[in-house]
Amino acid sequence: MQKTKTLLITSILILTSLFSGCAPEKKELYIYNWSDYINESLVKRFEDENNCKIILDYFDSNETMYAKLKAGAAGYDIVFPSGYMVNVMEKEGLLLKLDHTKIPNLKNLDEKYTPFSLDENQEVSVPYMISNTGIGYLKSKAGDNFEPSWNIFANSKHRGRMTMLNDMREAIGAALKYLGYSINTTNIMELESAKKVLIGWKHNLAKFEADQYKNGLVSQEFYFSQGYSGDIYQVMSENKDIGYAIPKEGTTLASDNMVILKTAKNTELAYKFINFMLDGKVAAENIEYIYYLAPNKEAYQYLSDEIKGNPAILMPDEILKKCEAMSDLGEKNELYSKIWDEVKAAK
Amino acid sequence: MNNLMMIMNLKKSGIMKFKISNEIKLSLPSLLWLLVFFMIPTVIVVLISFKNPDPFGGIGVGWSINGFSDIMNSYFAVILWRTVKLSLLTTIICLLLAMPVAIYMAKADAKIQNLLLLLIVIPFWTNFLIRIYAWKTVLHPEGFLKKIFFTFGLVPENGSLLYNEGAVLLVLVYAYLPFAILPLYTAIEKFDFRLIEAARDLGSGAVRSFVKIFLPGISQGIISAVMVVFIPALGSYVIPDMVGGPDGEMLGNKIAQMVFIDRNLPKGSALSTLLILAVILPGLIRIFIKKSNLTEAIARHKRPKVMQ
Repeated sequence: MQKTKTLLITSILILTSLFSGCAPEKKELYIYNWSDYINESLVKRFEDENNCKIILDYFDSNETMYAKLKAGAAGYDIVFPSGYMVNVMEKEGLLLKLDHTKIPNLKNLDEKYTPFSLDENQEVSVPYMISNTGIGYLKSKAGDNFEPSWNIFANSKHRGRMTMLNDMREAIGAALKYLGYSINTTNIMELESAKKVLIGWKHNLAKFEADQYKNGLVSQEFYFSQGYSGDIYQVMSENKDIGYAIPKEGTTLASDNMVILKTAKNTELAYKFINFMLDGKVAAENIEYIYYLAPNKEAYQYLSDEIKGNPAILMPDEILKKCEAMSDLGEKNELYSKIWDEVKAAK
Repeated sequence: MNNLMMIMNLKKSGIMKFKISNEIKLSLPSLLWLLVFFMIPTVIVVLISFKNPDPFGGIGVGWSINGFSDIMNSYFAVILWRTVKLSLLTTIICLLLAMPVAIYMAKADAKIQNLLLLLIVIPFWTNFLIRIYAWKTVLHPEGFLKKIFFTFGLVPENGSLLYNEGAVLLVLVYAYLPFAILPLYTAIEKFDFRLIEAARDLGSGAVRSFVKIFLPGISQGIISAVMVVFIPALGSYVIPDMVGGPDGEMLGNKIAQMVFIDRNLPKGSALSTLLILAVILPGLIRIFIKKSNLTEAIARHKRPKVMQ
C-alpha cells in the first residue's frame, strides 16, 4: 500500500515536471506602474509583437514604490516614477543611463513639454504622461459665465461644498499661483502671503481631500474640487454635469516618466517597450484611454476631436506659459511643511 | 495528623508547581506574539523618534531630539487638545448610552439577553471601513437626513452635515459604543441587585444607592469600558480622515501626514511616542487601581478571620 502511494506521487511529480518543461521559454518584462495608467490592450499588442510576457505590478504612491525598491525588491525592469522621484532614484544610483540609439522614437517627444521633466535631456528617464492640476466642478453650480480661477475657493456661497487637495505642495501652490508667485518659491514673504490666502480659502472648504473628491463630484456632494486632470476625466462619464478647467493663473504640470532600473534583467526588451510607447499611434491610443497627455508630437494627429479640442488636455500656449513643474526642494521642504501645519491648525 | 498535613502540603506545592509551569507554557505563544509584533515595533518607533531625518524620507545618521522639539509648538497644542477633547467626549457619551442598555440586558431573560448580544455583535460582521462609508451616505449633503434638517431650517441649503467636528464625534460614538456596552454588561450581570434592595431598605434614596452601591460594585466594568473606548479613540485615524473637515484632524492624521507627506519619519515617530505614552498612562493607573483593590479585598477577606 505504502509502496503504491510513493510510486503514484513520484510519477505525478515526474509527469508535471515534464509538462512544465514543454512550454517554450518566453522572455518576461516586469513593469511597475500606477494603477489605471496604461491602456492594457497596448500591453497585449506589445506581447504579441515581441513574443514575450509582460507582468504588471502597481503602486499607489512614489514613496511606496521607492520604499519597496530600496528594501531590495529586485526583478522590476521598467518603473514609472514622477519627476522628483526620478531625481531621488538617480541620486541613489538605481537608474540605468539611457542609450538613446536604442530609442529612435525619442524624436517624437514634444519640446514644449520636455522642460517640465526634471531630467530635460532624457539621460535616465523618458517622459510618459503630462498631468495637470485644475478645478473639477459641477456645471450646474458654476453657471454659464464661469471663469476658472483659484479664487473660486474664496466664494463663501459654496461654503462647505468645495475641496482642495490634501497635499501641501498642491494646496499652497494654488495660493502661490493665485498671487502670481512660483510654486517652487522659498521666499518667506511670498509663502506667508500664500498662507493667509489659503487660510481664507480653508474656511470655505468641506475638507482637504486627495482621493475621494472625484466620488464627491459624482454624487454632487462637492461643487468645486481642486484635482488631477486624469482623475476628473475618468469620472466624467458617471455624471455629465462634471466639468474640468485650468485656472487662468496657471497651475502645476507634472511629468510621469519611464525609467529602466540598473537591476533590470531584460534591458533590450525594456528599451523596445519604451520605444513602442513613444510611437505616435500607440501614444494616441494611450491618451484616448487614460485621458492624460503623452507629450508626443506624432500622436496629436491621431487624436479624436473631443480630445484635441479639450484645453485641459492640450493646453493653449498662453496658459501653458504660466504653468510650472514642481521641483524637489530637498531640505527647503520644511518651509512648506511648517506653513501647511499652520494652515491646518488655523482657526 | 502531622504526616497527613505534610502530605497535603506536598501535594499542594506540587499542584502549585504544575500550575505555574503550565501557565508559563500556555501563555508563551501569546507573550512571544506580543514581543515580536508589539514590544519590538514599539521600541523601534521610540528609537526612530530620536534619529535625524534624511531628505529622501529615510532615517539619517546621528541622534537628536529635534523630532520632539519640532512638534512642540502652538499648532500641535491645537490638535492635541482636539484629540483629547473628542476622545473624552466620546468616552462620556458612550458610557451614558451604554449604561442603561447594559443594565437592561443584565436584567433581561436569557433569551432576550442572547438576542441583544447578537444584535450588538452583528455590525462587526460588516467591515469597519464600509460602516464608516455608510455614514458618509447617511449624512450626505444631498441625502434624506440633510433634506429633513433643511426643511426644519436646521442647516442652510448648501450646508453639509459631514466634515465637521460633530460628525467625527457622532461616528466615533457609533464605532465605540459596543465596546462600552460589553464590559459594562459583564460587570452588571455579576452584580448582586439584592444589595440595592438592602440599601433601599436601610433608607438610602434611589440616586444615593445608585452612586454609592451600584457604581462602586461595577467599577471594574466601568474602568474597562473607559479604557477600551478612550485609548482607541485617542489613536483615531480613519474616522476623522473620512468624515472630518479641514478642522477635524486628530493626532493619528498628523502622524500619517508626517510619514506619508512630509516624509519625516523621526517627527512622526516622536508624535507616536507621545501617543504611546498617553495610552500607557491610563493603563498604569488601571494596574495601580487594580492592585489597591486587590490589597483591599485581601484585607477585607482577612478581617473576619481575625475576628473569628
